[in-house]
Order: sequence, then C-alpha cells, then structure tokens
Amino acid sequence: MIYFDHSATTPIHPDVLKKIHEVNRDFFANPSSIYKTGRKSRLLVEKARTQVANAIGASSEQIYFSSGGTEANNHVLWQIIKQEKKHVIISEIEHPAVSKVLKEIETYGIEVSTISVNDQGVVKIEELIDLIKDETTLVSVMMANNEIGAIQPIKKIKQILKKYEIPLHTDAVQALGKIKVDVKELDVDYLSLSAHKFYGPKGIGALYVKDKDDLGSLIIGGNQESGVRGGTENISGIIGMGLAAELVTKNQDKWIKNLKELEGYFLEKVEHHLPHAIHHKTDNLPGLISISFPGKKSNILMAKLDRANIAVSNGPACSSGNIQPSSVLKAIGLSDDVNLSTLRISFGKNNTIEEVDYLIKTLKEIV
Amino acid sequence: MKETVIIGMSGGVDSAVAASVLKDQGHNVEAVFMKNWDEDDTEFCTAAQDYKDALQACDTLNIPLRSVDLTKDYWEKVFKIFLEECKAGRTPNPDILCNKEIKFKAFLDFAFELGANKIATGHYSMIVEKDQLYQLKKGKDINKDQSYFLHRLDQFQISKSIFPIGDLSKDIVRKKAKDLDLLNYDKKDSTGICFIGERNYKNFLRKFFDVYPGEIIKENGEVIGEHDGLMYYTYGQRQGLGVGGGHGKKEAPWYVSDKIIDENRLVVVQGQDHPSLYHTHVKASNVNWISGDAPNEDFGITAKIRYRSNDTPCKLEHDSKNTFIEFENPKFAIAPGQSIVFYAGDTCIGGGYIETRSNKNIS
Repeated sequence: MIYFDHSATTPIHPDVLKKIHEVNRDFFANPSSIYKTGRKSRLLVEKARTQVANAIGASSEQIYFSSGGTEANNHVLWQIIKQEKKHVIISEIEHPAVSKVLKEIETYGIEVSTISVNDQGVVKIEELIDLIKDETTLVSVMMANNEIGAIQPIKKIKQILKKYEIPLHTDAVQALGKIKVDVKELDVDYLSLSAHKFYGPKGIGALYVKDKDDLGSLIIGGNQESGVRGGTENISGIIGMGLAAELVTKNQDKWIKNLKELEGYFLEKVEHHLPHAIHHKTDNLPGLISISFPGKKSNILMAKLDRANIAVSNGPACSSGNIQPSSVLKAIGLSDDVNLSTLRISFGKNNTIEEVDYLIKTLKEIV
Repeated sequence: MKETVIIGMSGGVDSAVAASVLKDQGHNVEAVFMKNWDEDDTEFCTAAQDYKDALQACDTLNIPLRSVDLTKDYWEKVFKIFLEECKAGRTPNPDILCNKEIKFKAFLDFAFELGANKIATGHYSMIVEKDQLYQLKKGKDINKDQSYFLHRLDQFQISKSIFPIGDLSKDIVRKKAKDLDLLNYDKKDSTGICFIGERNYKNFLRKFFDVYPGEIIKENGEVIGEHDGLMYYTYGQRQGLGVGGGHGKKEAPWYVSDKIIDENRLVVVQGQDHPSLYHTHVKASNVNWISGDAPNEDFGITAKIRYRSNDTPCKLEHDSKNTFIEFENPKFAIAPGQSIVFYAGDTCIGGGYIETRSNKNIS
C-alpha cells in the first residue's frame, strides 16, 4: 500500500516498535511498586515524560500522560464545569474531540461562543476580542487543522488573552512532527498531544499543563500522574511515545524538509497534469494538501485510488465509514459539491518522489 | 463473461452469501455498504453494527468493501413520502420505495460510476431474460420471496441487476454461510421498516409530527373509546385498540374497519367475520408494469394485497390513470396506501398503490 494519510495516523517507527516489544517483555512491573522491577518501570515512565517534555520545550512535571489526544482535550475541557465563570470560546473548525465535548458541556449550563475562520481556514482574531466577556474562563483553538492543515495564530491569541487573564488550550495533535511546537514560545496554558500522529503507538497521548494547580481530574482512581489521572500507567505506550517524541526532536527538521519537497513536487505536477483541480492553499502543515476535483465525487475517487492500492482520505469518516460534507470545508466557503469532491493527501516522512509520481499517474487516469 | 459486479452489502447473511455465489461464478466482485439513515441521534439504528458485520463478511470473502452515504436521497425520496402517507392515514410501505429509488437507483448509479457492469443484492427473487424482456420471478424459497418489494422496478433496473441467491432457500443460504465461516451466519433477519427497526413505532412517529387522539366509534356512530392518533392504526388491526374483546373475554374482538380522516375518527367492528372488513373491489393508482405494458387481460392473474398475503385470482380493468381490480371472493383488510402486486404464475408483473376499496364495481 502507498500511504498518503498521515494526518489520520502514522506508521509506527521501527525503533519505537522494537522498544515497545522490549518493554512489554521485560518491564511488566507496576511503576507504583517499590521493589526493584517496579522502580525500573517508574524510571522508564519518567524518562519518557522528559522526552515528551523536551519535544515541546516543557519541563517534565508539566506533562501528564493520557489515553490519547481526545482524552487530553476532555481532561481540560471538563474542568470548565467546575469553574465559577461559565463561558468558553472555541474556533469553528475544532476536531470533534473539542467541539462535541463542548456541545455536551453546554448542557451543564456553560455558554460556548465560536470564532469563525477566513477562507484560508485561519481564525479571525478580531472576532475573538469581541467574544471575550468577564465570564470567559477558557479559550480553545487547535494549533493546526486536521482537514486543511491551516496553522492557527496561537501565539497572537495568547497575547490578547493575557490582558484578560484567560487561559488558552490548544489541541496540537496534528502539529508535532510537522511544525515546531514550543510551549514557551506559544505561551499556552494547556496543550494536547497524541503519539500515533508522530510515528508513536496508538492509545497514548499527553497533556501539557503550564501550572498544575489549575488542573483537576477527569479519570479518578489511583494516585498516578500526580493524582490527576488515575489508572495504572500504559508503560509500553508511554515509553513508545517518549521515544517517538525524542525522534521528533532529533529529526523534525529533516522530516519537514522532505514533506515540503514532496508537497512542492506534487503541486507542480498537479498544475501540469490536473489543471482543473483546486488546491485549497493555506498557510498549512507541510505535506497536508486539501484538493478538490470539481465534477468528481470524492468517495468514487477514493474507491478508485483504493483499487490502485493508494490510501488517501476524504473528510471525517463516521462509524459506518461514510462521508458527509465536511464542516471545516464549509467554514472556508466551499459549496457542498466542491466539498464532496475534496481529497486530503497527507504525506509522511517515508514517502518518496516515486510514490508521488504513481499518485499523479493514477489520479490522471481516474479524474 | 467476467463482469464487475458490485453488491449491496447489508451486513446480513443474504448479501454475504450472494457475494460468495458471485465469486464462485467467476465475477469480479466488490461490495458497497449503503448508509440510508442518519442514526446519530438514536440508539436504535444498527447501521454501525451492520457495517462491522459487512466488513467481517467481506474480509472472510476477500472482497473490498466501500461505503456510500445515501441518507439525503433516502430522506427526500422515501422518508418524506412515508410521512405524508402516514399523515393521510394510509399504510405506506417504505421498503418498496427504497428499492425503486435507493437500492436500484441511487446505489445503482453509484456502482456504475465505480465501473460496475451489474449490481447485485441479496433479495430472494429471480430474473429471467426472454427475447430481451426481463422478467421478475418469485424467489425459489416461497416463504422468503421478496418480489413483492421489487415490483416497482423497470426493465432497465432489472436488466442491470443480479439476485444471486434467488434460487436458494434460506436454510441453504445459512448453511453456506456457516460453511464459509461467515460470522453472521445466524444473524437474525431484519424485521420491520428499516429506519424504525425494533424501536417503538408510536414514539418514532411522534418525533415527526403532531398526533391528535380522537374517538373510536362503532359503525352506528356510538363512541366506545379513544384512539392515540389515526396513523398508528391500520385496517384490520385488532391489537392495541383498548376497547375490550379479545383475550379471555367472551365478547368477540374488535377490528379496525375504517378511518374517517376529516373527523379524526376510527371505525371498529366486532368479529373477524364482520362484512365491513371484506371487499371485492380495489382501485389502484400509479401502477408499474415491469414489462412496460399492462398485461393482456386474458391470462390468469393473481394479486397480493400485502407482503405475505395469498395470491388471489382477480380481474383487471384499466383507465388512463388507474387500474381496477375485482376479486372473486372478498378479501380481508385491504389497506389504502399498501401496494397491490400482480402475478402471472410465479412472475411478478407489477403493481400499484391501493387507493380505495369497495364491494361494487367502481370503474
């Protein structure tokens, strides 16, 4: 299979795979146990915490492991119902792991306002200022969008919020491995990560929290994760995530360079061979391309690419594998027809020019 | 000839075995799961589970599975009409429209766009081509025969379709499924209207429109009870009237004989033999003839007034709009809105919607 769907998930890095296997084999002891093997498990977990912290410029005590990006988001967002202030602001292009959570939280008497995006998929900062109230207790804006790759002005948003002393959460699951993520520079209060988006294992993620005092629990149980996230640690997942994060720190510049080359090459070929295609150009994540083929249906295109053994995506799939017009593409002003003719191609570190050539050749045949 | 056949895979045992039969016949087989109903706000719709079952079946059979979302088509072309019919106090059958508009139209179009030469489904019915005329035959398993639901198809639709298990019995289909290691071999047959499934019909309908309770009356106008809303009742219905009779009582049970829509009243009569429950004449509208033409009157035609009713000999007359059916013997509980479907022997020749019923010639 030729895989161009790295925004959905990435193949696990071979070093990470090896490490997970070793950990599962050799270090089964509970990190909370005080005997020798338990202490070893604890050390490995704490090393991973440092590796994740290093990848985003944090310190290790600011990192809390979770079951993934979705849990990390939920962890932050559900704290809202305990606050005195009852207003929260999100962008209109958040992943359901934020937008749907807020829908649920609304039923607890929380008011939610939405910042819209321009035709590049970037939130309109001027709207943010109008939406802020005395009651605003949190703003949550993703670092980069999963469908169109639009990078959001997180640093600027924080500069505005600082005046009002409103904390900022950012869902950064699409960002790490593709753009620089530095919590100090961004100055965010909370940031969510998911390991499987950067060649780590699935089922593990982390939440960065600037100041631990601001964080309550979501999953309540034992005293793990400084008491804010109960449950015996997913040791192999955590260690896998730690190594994947370290590989990001070491290799990200190289990966980004490759992604940019592939993207440039692909778009050049598209312009030449597929002149009717519309590329939704944004200040995007490198290697993530949202492209429409007017007059074609994306589910037909996907099926034909699948026959050619090529994996791409066409919007958020639901439980029965179906495709609805994407709300994100709607938000940047696409008509339903163009919306449903859109493919998302997301390159990864292992993709090659030859694979892109094959993609272009196949697209030429089926479009 | 090796054709590309795209099969509508429902997650049930019938379409799975149908796919396997097609493979054995040497076709290039792909599968598509149709999503016709948006289940997001309900816990009853089983689409997600059905999709998983379809995925497993396709994995076992080693054929690719794709999905298509036809919820919009279904809503516009099937569900809206279902609601209108309910509001009018009629007894609609959305599965018939689903075949005509969705499975053998929207899905067919999708499959052809994907490069199919033909589509297939797991229906228990058979197709025979004679002199370039395509005939729709009853399924060989007469208990399972689904030709009733397919009677609104036309020549084009039938000519592009294959029913690979139409000549098999359900028992054989289940046995084949088991032999093939299909995990859904003993999955329960789906029952009822697909979008309602097992859920409470009354609660479901209540979400879509206001329902007005009214009087239940005898034929002489005497009020003997209250109904929950005319659309919840069908002609010949006995259960759920709440007007006595029935279990453990000496009095004969009551049956719905008529609905007076303007007055929002439900008319009931006592005893299954009551003459008001029986009619000899039916006026049917929008009749579809599968061959494209109305039949020659001369040969023996039978009709079903609902799925699973007996084939009853009848005579037909037509005017420019309607078909008039006369049964030799009166039929029980003929329901306006239901489809009356015509057969010549084991060939389904077409059918239409029951408009009115009576005991005299109304042509």
